[in-house]
Amino acid sequence: MTGTDRRTGLRGSFSNRWPVGVAFCLPLITGLLGLTAYPVLASLYYSMTDYPVFDRPVWIGLANYRELLSDPRVWISLWNTAYVAIFAVPLGMVAGLLLALLLNLKIRGMAFYRTMFFLPSIVPLIASCVLWGQILNAQKGLLNELLRLAGVPEPWIPGWLSSVFWAKPGLILMSLWGCGGGMVLYLAALQDVPQELYESAALDGAGAWRRLWHISLPMISPVLLFTGVMGLIGSVQYFEQAYVLTGGTGRPNDATLFYALNLFNTAFAEYRLGYASAMAWVMFVVILLATWGVMRLSSRYVYYHS
Amino acid sequence: MKLRTWQIWLATAALAGLSVIFAVPFMWMLSTSLKVDEKIQTEHLNLIPRATFIVHNGETLRVRPLQARGDMQEVQVYRDNRPAEKLMVRRTDLRDGFYLNTANYTEALRRAQFIAVTDRWPFVRGYLANTLIICVLTVTGTLLSCSLAAYGLACVEWRGRELLLWVMLSTMMLPGQVTMIPLFMTFRKLGWINTILPLVVPSFLGNAFFIFLLRQFYRSIPRDLIEAARIDGCGELGIWARIMLPLSRPALAVVALFTFIGSWNDFLRPLIYLMEESKYTMAIGLASFQGQYGGDWGQMMAMSLLMTVPIIVLFFFTQKTFIQGVKLAGIKG
Repeated sequence: MTGTDRRTGLRGSFSNRWPVGVAFCLPLITGLLGLTAYPVLASLYYSMTDYPVFDRPVWIGLANYRELLSDPRVWISLWNTAYVAIFAVPLGMVAGLLLALLLNLKIRGMAFYRTMFFLPSIVPLIASCVLWGQILNAQKGLLNELLRLAGVPEPWIPGWLSSVFWAKPGLILMSLWGCGGGMVLYLAALQDVPQELYESAALDGAGAWRRLWHISLPMISPVLLFTGVMGLIGSVQYFEQAYVLTGGTGRPNDATLFYALNLFNTAFAEYRLGYASAMAWVMFVVILLATWGVMRLSSRYVYYHS
Repeated sequence: MKLRTWQIWLATAALAGLSVIFAVPFMWMLSTSLKVDEKIQTEHLNLIPRATFIVHNGETLRVRPLQARGDMQEVQVYRDNRPAEKLMVRRTDLRDGFYLNTANYTEALRRAQFIAVTDRWPFVRGYLANTLIICVLTVTGTLLSCSLAAYGLACVEWRGRELLLWVMLSTMMLPGQVTMIPLFMTFRKLGWINTILPLVVPSFLGNAFFIFLLRQFYRSIPRDLIEAARIDGCGELGIWARIMLPLSRPALAVVALFTFIGSWNDFLRPLIYLMEESKYTMAIGLASFQGQYGGDWGQMMAMSLLMTVPIIVLFFFTQKTFIQGVKLAGIKG
């Protein structure tokens, strides 16, 4: 039985081709089974066990999840993570958007400025952590020396990475240096906005501010939503910066103990694989809830033109 | 919308000012990497690398001030960047002058074993070599597995491919932390810990995002081309190799570029799987260096720069592909 009509998708043409399709997808299928399906199930099982690396997992039901609820370090790390998500993501988006709007004025030398703003976002994360470790050093760091030069009195100089209050703002400042990645996306979206919209709005007497608020922002709102959601997911998994800049300890006084760092330490320093697996599932649920929440909240404001 | 002259000036000033702010950390990294340690500790705000010199018996020597005794100053003399004799000199004889301390780079390279001079194959050892091997294998694996799967999903009609696509896309929601622990245990049972296998082998088993990207690209290629090749008796593998691969070169370039960068920057997985320093990649080499020699800013900046420059060079050589990839993916670096 061979295929007759491709549009109706008759059995023959499909069924005799599946070995070819599966053959091409064999690596992918192996990967989905071995690197995703099995680990997901195993992780779900581990999360309900007590599992020290060098011993067998012992079933304890939901005890890990119950312990999570009353573990102060889990709550501290969740708070720290939420702090970064709440401040770093919107600030990074606003900074990237402002840069994109400036560049979109089509000033001479725009390509040069765009490169200058974009380059920091491609610096390897570890290298930029080392660099900012110096810049944010409380005594000899560049930033504080500049503040002293500007005449800021010594008691007002932030302690950055060595201060409980300033550690997270310091990390956020560092992340703002990399806002050029979002900027490229916003700029591309702004350049796709049809010029007629601006022209007719200008004819109707709309000023620059109203054109921005009623044309530019709605037109690029899908991109804003996308970067917002990606930024949110990324910040829930915020890890490297804290690991490198604080030696993985979350110092000072757990101020930089982020959720992913706490999870990593639980798994690979304390070797509590069961508990760490439960933490990972909580992280997954948090990501799903946060994404769902943002999509829900934004649905009224995002404009899809097609 | 025509801008007025003063508006153009204002915007230009803002752009120029912001460019300087974004460039300062780069200049600071370069400048610190070329400074001598004592100047890093004392001259915090100087962008020009300097060192202390004395003229001794008609010879200009680079010195490092040690203890002061009254008017006199004990100094450590450096010859060929190595500490030599100590001298007592008058403090007024000390002069500061421009000096590029390239020793930070040689020292960083040596410590990182980028170049093991005694080796017959100097680049076979060390962080850089380890990283490059992983990068090349990962790029190869990703290109191969992703383009094959994309072909299977886009160009072959079979029942179940929509389901497979849907399953594949839904795995993108899953944070790596969920699978991290069981994968670690699996690789441990396989005896793959402290080898590059856990970092490389998964790339041969596909990547959901890149497969989706390539699939979209393949679907934009006219079906007639494939049908004609089939009628001419070309096998499916032949169509993939001779038609799809050459036609999808721009998309493959994006995949290769971002896989390379991702692998170059990867931190968490090498941190979990590589135990011995001789196996370290640049990223964890640098992080452990920061842990051990936290105060030696000069050498750390030199190493950071060595890790950053290849990516920036890559950006300038592949700018179009690079920006294209960022737009396609929203991948930030």
